[in-house]
Amino acid sequence: MSDAHEPKTETGPAPLHGILAEYATPTEILAASRKIRDAGFSRWDTYTPFPVHGIDKAMGIRMTILPWIVLGAGLCGLATAILLQWWTNAYDYRWLVSGKPFWSIPANVPIMFELTVLFAGLTTLVAMLVLNNLPFPSHPLDHIRRFARSTDDRFFLFVEAADPKFDEDSTKTLLEGTHPHAIENVLEDRKTSDALPVGIIYGLVIMTVASAVPFALAAKARYTLSRSPRIHIIQDMDAQPKYKAQRENPVFSDGRSTRVPDAETVAVGELHEDDHFYRGKDNGAWARTFPPAFRVDEVAMDRGQQRFGIYCTPCHGFGGEGNGMVAKRAEELAQGTWTPPSNLTDARIRNMPVGELFNTITNGIRNMPAYGPQIPTSDRWAIILYLRALERARAATLADLEPAERTGL
Amino acid sequence: MATAKKGPTKKTGSAKKGGSEATPDSQPKPSASVPEDAAGKVEIAGFSDKIRLGSEGGALFAKAAGLAVIALGASVALGASQGDGFKRWSHGYLVGYAVALAITAGSLFWVILQNLVNARWSVAVRRMGELFAANMPLLGVLSLPLVLPVMTGSPLIYEWADKAKVASDHLLHHKSGYLNANFFLVRMLFYFGFWTVLARFYLGSSRRQDETGGPEIVPSMNRISGPAMIGFALTLTFCAVDLIMSVDARWFSTMFGVYFFASCVLSVHATLILSLLWVQKKGRLAKSITAEHYHDLGKMLFAFVIFWAYVAFSQFMLIWYSNIPEETAWFKVRFAGGWGNVAWTLVFGHFVVPFFGLLSRHIKRSRPALAFWCFYMLAMVYIDMYWLVLPSIEVEPNVQAMDILAALGLLSALVAGAAREAGKKNLIPTKDPRLSQSLAFENI
Amino acid sequence: MAAATDLNPFVPAPAGDNAFARITDNVSRIAEAERPPRAWYIAFGVALTMLTVFLGAIGWLVWNGIGVWGNQIPVAWAFDIVNFVFWIGIGHAGTLISAILFLLRQSWRTAINRFAEAMTIFAVICAGIFPGIHIGRPWLPYYMMPIPNQMDMWPQFRSPLEWDIFAVSTYATISIVFWYMGMIPDFATFRDRATTFWRRFAYGIVAMGWRGSSRQWHRYERAYLLLAALATPLVLSVHSVVSFDFATAQLPGWHTTIFPPYFVAGAIFGGFAMVVLLAVPARQFFGLKRIIQIKHLELMNKVLIATGLLVGYAYGMEFFVAWYSGNSYEGFTFINRAFGQYYWAYWTMITCNVLAPQLHWFKKIRTSPLATLLIGMVINVGMWFERFVIISTSLARDFLPSSWNYYIPTTIDYLTLGGSFGLFFTLFLLFCRYLPMVAMAEVKSIHPSAHAHAEHH
Repeated sequence: MSDAHEPKTETGPAPLHGILAEYATPTEILAASRKIRDAGFSRWDTYTPFPVHGIDKAMGIRMTILPWIVLGAGLCGLATAILLQWWTNAYDYRWLVSGKPFWSIPANVPIMFELTVLFAGLTTLVAMLVLNNLPFPSHPLDHIRRFARSTDDRFFLFVEAADPKFDEDSTKTLLEGTHPHAIENVLEDRKTSDALPVGIIYGLVIMTVASAVPFALAAKARYTLSRSPRIHIIQDMDAQPKYKAQRENPVFSDGRSTRVPDAETVAVGELHEDDHFYRGKDNGAWARTFPPAFRVDEVAMDRGQQRFGIYCTPCHGFGGEGNGMVAKRAEELAQGTWTPPSNLTDARIRNMPVGELFNTITNGIRNMPAYGPQIPTSDRWAIILYLRALERARAATLADLEPAERTGL
Repeated sequence: MATAKKGPTKKTGSAKKGGSEATPDSQPKPSASVPEDAAGKVEIAGFSDKIRLGSEGGALFAKAAGLAVIALGASVALGASQGDGFKRWSHGYLVGYAVALAITAGSLFWVILQNLVNARWSVAVRRMGELFAANMPLLGVLSLPLVLPVMTGSPLIYEWADKAKVASDHLLHHKSGYLNANFFLVRMLFYFGFWTVLARFYLGSSRRQDETGGPEIVPSMNRISGPAMIGFALTLTFCAVDLIMSVDARWFSTMFGVYFFASCVLSVHATLILSLLWVQKKGRLAKSITAEHYHDLGKMLFAFVIFWAYVAFSQFMLIWYSNIPEETAWFKVRFAGGWGNVAWTLVFGHFVVPFFGLLSRHIKRSRPALAFWCFYMLAMVYIDMYWLVLPSIEVEPNVQAMDILAALGLLSALVAGAAREAGKKNLIPTKDPRLSQSLAFENI
Repeated sequence: MAAATDLNPFVPAPAGDNAFARITDNVSRIAEAERPPRAWYIAFGVALTMLTVFLGAIGWLVWNGIGVWGNQIPVAWAFDIVNFVFWIGIGHAGTLISAILFLLRQSWRTAINRFAEAMTIFAVICAGIFPGIHIGRPWLPYYMMPIPNQMDMWPQFRSPLEWDIFAVSTYATISIVFWYMGMIPDFATFRDRATTFWRRFAYGIVAMGWRGSSRQWHRYERAYLLLAALATPLVLSVHSVVSFDFATAQLPGWHTTIFPPYFVAGAIFGGFAMVVLLAVPARQFFGLKRIIQIKHLELMNKVLIATGLLVGYAYGMEFFVAWYSGNSYEGFTFINRAFGQYYWAYWTMITCNVLAPQLHWFKKIRTSPLATLLIGMVINVGMWFERFVIISTSLARDFLPSSWNYYIPTTIDYLTLGGSFGLFFTLFLLFCRYLPMVAMAEVKSIHPSAHAHAEHH
């Protein structure tokens, strides 16, 4: 609805703005519209309480460009969604979730769709309002009492005086030929001011300024330093009055929260008095026998074999020769600092006291880490038991075999 | 029975242009429909139009049936030459069959739906749908290459058909209560029996309406449509499960029935549009089918392009997201190597491109454009079915002539069936009380 | 144009009478009345009380924490999420009636579409509250938005819960846009009938100066069509995204590919039940029987049969594939649902969702307002239980028997659920009082007198 007002003249009767015709049925307004359309008018319009079917054609209204605007907006939404999800999750701050790719396109599709629709939908409303010149607060027709029925049950046709083909008499005659229910002249609006009400201007200015305040506060918070704690309304159990490790504690003279137990403190079950069993020492020297606390039997041997297979073979190999997978890999990598694992079957280890072996397993040696924390004490002895059997097997002589087996070689 | 107002006065007995011989002066036979006038036109709802195929139908039947026989024969010959006991051929055949099933079952669905909601716009189009739905018995017969191997216990397509395999495999054994030859046969007979009964009922009632115009016919078609739809939903779902999903008997998806259904609806709309375009090219239904009908059919085609994408994406994404091996294995095969390219082709070709292609109002009202998009969508449905079935036996896509020939043969068979069924009878339901609204409506 | 037939639900007007004026009057006088009908006051009192309870329950929750609810491990999602899905589902009917029925050219929708859309918006508001309050620290919801924050972190877009945020906000926004745009011509009607300055001013502002110009109607109609075309896939997507919350998990009973259309069908089902539930008293107490006719109720009840059967189909497919898959966890879940500790919830759901709507096959029942109302209520109950069965029972017994537990709701849980109805009805009653309850312009446009008897040039 285009409607440029003529600039107001201060004196004299108000000039004619146009002629208004009223009709009671859709049929009549369609017929009237065709007539006006065919007469070549361009600045005219009809007003109906609902969209009358066929009036677009009767008035010669061309298809609006609104669908294209909406399509463009939808594509913008799609692009925004793709960019947003890619940039935040796959570029700016990438982090792995459930092993899904940083840029998980299947997972991004729902939001791509939603933003497309959101942008398109909002644009539909806004573009429709803009194209329709809405909001349109004031119009000369508002002063015509009968015109209020345009939103109720009557149909109106209005031809503007500004139209080049307009002539008060002939246009009126033309309209009368369409048999309207009523015809009326519409004058220019002198009563309503063209200017925007001052109140609205003030309101808009205040609102604009006010809306900048939250952003300003956020910017201030981001770029300044504050020593006061955050405002934390619902406390729950968030700030607990307790001392945490590594924190200051004024109660103690050294000021620490973390306390070390007194010397001679022993945890329950940790009083390992049995030197032989727990340290492999027999009267101060490396023990040469298995401790009495360790039961040497078939079960222990099997256990030892199993544990050896788990803990020792990666480096020492299944044969104990020091050719486990780790050792082979290290050689392949040709690291200069690598000390190869010992060949457990050679004489030096065979002749080593079991207590010393126990100590090596417990505390480690050279590249070998301490296995004490991983392997329970009795398991360590079981491993040594198996090791002895392994060494015995590797150092076997013909004499060790049964006569029947000797021939098999 | 109304006689054509313009008919008797114009008829002079001279040769007509392809209309059927009807002499309005003679006694109207009790089973005859409205007679045609000199130009082969029939008066319906205020104007006259050619509404019967006449000899064109016979010509079409001959061509289509001939093509079907030749194509299928060639396909079988090529399949035999593979030397694998028709294993590769039967998979290609299954793909073509799936498309044929989509069209036929889709037609039946469409007919039931129009009757269920008492649609007015589609009345002029409905007979076409009824004709294609009437291919059900033919389709049942054409399923023999798929059913016979199962009955003989051969794992040609379905590994669960092999009793020895089932006995030795825990999972197949578990499913054997459902996936076994006898129950499979019973189900297939039931599906096609049920569908045939329904198709015949609708076509029969509709034809009866042409003759008698009885007021009880429309309500009777409406009333049965509720239960018919329920039965259709279940039979279609399980048919899709039986024929296509069980090709990989280890995989499962509750969405599969809906997925196949989407392809059915796409296929039927494409088929309806194409058949109406052909019929109009031959000078029939020139005034009865308007741009408004094509617009509506095009809108549904567009809507179901989106619906298919929605279903396909949901099925895929949910399985991708949870990443459970027993479900992802099926997709993994279909994204590996060349099959991955086919999958991307489906994403763009089956959704993105036709979405933008069918978006515009103008395209939906333009006959050449719609014709293109319908052929295109049927091709896409074929590629989709191909991608569903073939990866079970081909590591890389390996399209063979026998696959295309089988599909061509099957679709020609459908056309032949519809042409034969159309025969010399009306192409629109002339006495449907809603016909005038169908002929006169306008789109937004 | 085609004349009115028995297929057009309108009663033809006697010659000489002005149907348009009657429609305007019938609808406008509801909002223009000095006092609303007494029933309105009673209903509003009850609704306001329930709203107060709701706010109280939320306040108690926010102050004390999630422990006031019965949520525990493994049932970490219970009433909160059930209520969320329930309310979102209810909202879908409004959009379906506005958008999808519009695209399908079903003119009978015009009698009910306005208050159905209003219902959508209020339902979405109720729904949106639940994710907000269930997050433990409800004062930090902005973490879910892609706003730069002090940790330089962004939301996790790969999560269905994040998709939910976007889907539900988009849905709320577009619903409000559609609803508002639909009301512009009706606001103009109210403005033009206003007898006091403030009424004129208020309705005038929101009417934007609409005067019914045909050139404006042209763009308006195009915009309406576009919004309908956008809202249709949107409504399908929203409940699909909600279903993704569950289906993307690996939990048996949750991880099913059919969830998206199943949830959408269920949402439309529950939503229509609510529309029907509101339509019956609304037409009674606001004198809208000539506009919202029995024919409309009957059509809605038919939709209930259809969507109820879709839901039943999904139940069947889930059950079949749970067996077919050979997955013992999946199989157990479905046996457990029917015969385990929550069997009572399961059978309530089946009775209310699958059996009850079948009564509408009988014409006598589907044309009776009272039966319509009662069955609508029953279906709403059933749909609530469906979400409960899906969410809580699947969680209560999943993979590891040592983790199994039984969820028991607390008083606050019940008060929150009941109170949410208070919010819904308060907003709805306010809508009835002040806003155009029926889309007058649309109703007029489908009336037989709106069609010109003319040749088209």
